[in-house]
Amino acid sequence: MGEQRQLEVSTHVKPALELTSVPPWTVSPTLPDADVTGATWTVIAIGPDAGPVVDTWTAQVTAAHPSAPVTVHRVDDVSSAVAALDADLTAASVGWRLMVAGPAHACLKVRAHAVRHEVADDEMTFASTEVDHRTVLCVHCGERNEAPVGIEDVLPCAGCARNLLVHYHVSRRQGAYLGYQVDAEQLVESA
Amino acid sequence: MSTIDLVVTAIDDSVPGVRSLTLAHPDGTTLPSFTPGSHIVVQCGDVANAYSLTSDSVQPTQYDISVLELPDGKGGSRWIHNLTVGDPVSVLPPRSAFAPILRARKHLLVAAGIGVTPMISHLRAAKQWGRDTELLYVHRPGRGAHLDDIAALTDTARIFTNRADFLGVLPDTLAAQPFGAHLYICGPTTFIDDVVAAATAHGWPQSRIHFERFGVGALDPGEPFTVKLANSGTTIAVDSGVSLLEALEAAGHNIPNLCRQGVCGECRLTVSSGEIEHRDMYLTDADKAAGDAIMACVSRAASPELELKL
Amino acid sequence: MTASLVSAPDLIANFPFPFPTDQYRYSTNVEPARGPVPTPTGVWGEHIIDIDSEYEHELALREQILERDPSRYAVLPHMRVAAWDCMLTLMGEMAKAYPDTMSLTRTGDTWHWRNGRLGLSADFVLGDESTLPMEPLAYIGSQVQDDIVLLDQRDGDLFGDAGVVTFAADWSFGFDVGMTFLEIHGPVPRLRETGVITRAREFLMRLQPGEIYRRTNWTLTIGRRLDVSTELYHEWGPDRAMIQTVSDEEFGRLVHLRVELQHLIRLCESGAICFLIRTYMLPFVDLATVPEWRARAAAVLADLPEDMADYKGIISYRDRAVEWLTTH
Repeated sequence: MGEQRQLEVSTHVKPALELTSVPPWTVSPTLPDADVTGATWTVIAIGPDAGPVVDTWTAQVTAAHPSAPVTVHRVDDVSSAVAALDADLTAASVGWRLMVAGPAHACLKVRAHAVRHEVADDEMTFASTEVDHRTVLCVHCGERNEAPVGIEDVLPCAGCARNLLVHYHVSRRQGAYLGYQVDAEQLVESA
Repeated sequence: MSTIDLVVTAIDDSVPGVRSLTLAHPDGTTLPSFTPGSHIVVQCGDVANAYSLTSDSVQPTQYDISVLELPDGKGGSRWIHNLTVGDPVSVLPPRSAFAPILRARKHLLVAAGIGVTPMISHLRAAKQWGRDTELLYVHRPGRGAHLDDIAALTDTARIFTNRADFLGVLPDTLAAQPFGAHLYICGPTTFIDDVVAAATAHGWPQSRIHFERFGVGALDPGEPFTVKLANSGTTIAVDSGVSLLEALEAAGHNIPNLCRQGVCGECRLTVSSGEIEHRDMYLTDADKAAGDAIMACVSRAASPELELKL
Repeated sequence: MTASLVSAPDLIANFPFPFPTDQYRYSTNVEPARGPVPTPTGVWGEHIIDIDSEYEHELALREQILERDPSRYAVLPHMRVAAWDCMLTLMGEMAKAYPDTMSLTRTGDTWHWRNGRLGLSADFVLGDESTLPMEPLAYIGSQVQDDIVLLDQRDGDLFGDAGVVTFAADWSFGFDVGMTFLEIHGPVPRLRETGVITRAREFLMRLQPGEIYRRTNWTLTIGRRLDVSTELYHEWGPDRAMIQTVSDEEFGRLVHLRVELQHLIRLCESGAICFLIRTYMLPFVDLATVPEWRARAAAVLADLPEDMADYKGIISYRDRAVEWLTTH
């Protein structure tokens, strides 16, 4: 996909994470405890590293609610995770909780899907097993770029070839970071 | 806070222990529209009480409220029960603290006694907008309020005249709500606490539980105090219900101000003595603890007198 | 020296000059709406919806932008009531402000809207989509020069869940739809740290039904270009390099003081908050014909801290802007 390079971006100070729209668990691998306040659970493990997380969570829920219905899905990719989520949502009652473990970029996509189905923040829990890959949405052409980039790295857009800066800005509904052309002001376009 | 001066145009005492009032402009002009679940603060003699609006909310020409008779209360209810048609009543504009959640796929309304009043405007809006709504209403026998309104506005209400029957259906009802539903509770404090506890026990997340406790909605007009201006030595009285900013302006002082709501920081004054009751959202905790600055538009004195460097 | 103006006369007379003092910093500068503000050239602020000589042009521009990029408009399903609420409220404000050309009346359940300036009318029933030519927010969005964002208040926060935003100043509504108020304002240096945005949110959440407040925001734009959204940054970004190379005369004609007059309304029926953003632009050559404006703008720009000038995108030509204003 080409090189990613760090460009000097004018006079710039990194913002404090909690003042941005970037969930902290997408920057550092995070393993929260299970949310045991619910009545029914959908637990999704995306990828092999998520397995142990899900085991821990299931044990925590069962310890608090021995006979509670906990539906566990172990999947390889996001589309399988979303399909599992959809299936469980159709039959869900209030009291349902969603817990997802996997790479941060996968969790963000599942969260986007849940948000679009009006799942509330206090009904979802995410554990990130890896935070190296990001989905970067090109604000110019709409392309979703998947790449091992950090925030404020630069990558070429697969859709329009512009050099995109990965911005400290995550859309809930898109499940992606905002990417915008980093060198627009350094190019003087000829008519 | 601009009061609206209304008159009583109708009184309904058909339900024992409950008085329903209709208030309107003397000349019938349109009153401010309000969000379903809103209440008005009524000046009941020396006491100001909040009552839910039960009438139409879109460009209405009247405000309806229903008041429980409380012979041993602070006097607000007694004042209301002494009114006759034609009497003047001053109210504050409607305040919204119990609105329907726009994202709710279903609204489960649970009310006890006079707590049914905010649910009536919810039901009106539900009918206008086609919202999926279910009301559970428990009241003492013969003391159900707005039963006619409920019958006219919804087919899915379940009415109970004893708590045992209500408590019999509550757990199953809470356990079987479709994902996306929201719960709204109003009634006596212990009733609210019990229903919240039951919902939580059934796994309801806090974001889906909403309740309104009566009596806490009103804005406290505060105690009167005096303010001494250090530079001139003059003293100004600040009445209950009047802000320090208003009192200073009335006395001819030009104080910089903008939002008049305690957020922008423009009306900051230096305090040289006296205790401050901070009600603003501008000063930091450290500023407030230092006790030498006051936001004149919303904050008040906690001591009988305040001295300003003015 | 008589200066011939670039802008139409009403644009100068109604220009909401945004600097009350010679120094500008971020603040939660909200104030009650509707109060007229006299200026050296005229007055602004009397109406919630302001219609000027650019009306037809800006509406046509909006239509083109939406045609090309529909992501600038969204109404999440649960915002349907808020959209109707917004439309009805804005129609009421327009009828109040321009009674000669606009009217909103009602017979029973049917509302009658007349926009004489555009030759439009609609007889509609609240909540019945079949009685309007299009979705309510789109309908009213096609008749006001303001950008509109509707915020849903829930979970102790505000969510930007509907809107029509075609004249964004370096943000992307399409990307931000569904985000919270704090998230949308993102990592603006100094803005978040000083708590200005948090206080603004607290203020908005306490707005009562029917209350309307306003505030102003400002930046500089090169060319009279309304759409400086992040989506098109690749088109307008290069102008910031170009502007350093143009002649003095061109500089004064191209650099515009851009002001957003924002109105914040708590809508009654839905409880949603309507955020109106009305953009005004005046080129430096016109600004300079008003001595008080020229001097104050120069002072503000000269004093502006580096991080604020950087965030507003003007750091590369700020010094020249100050010099231009000082010497014209």
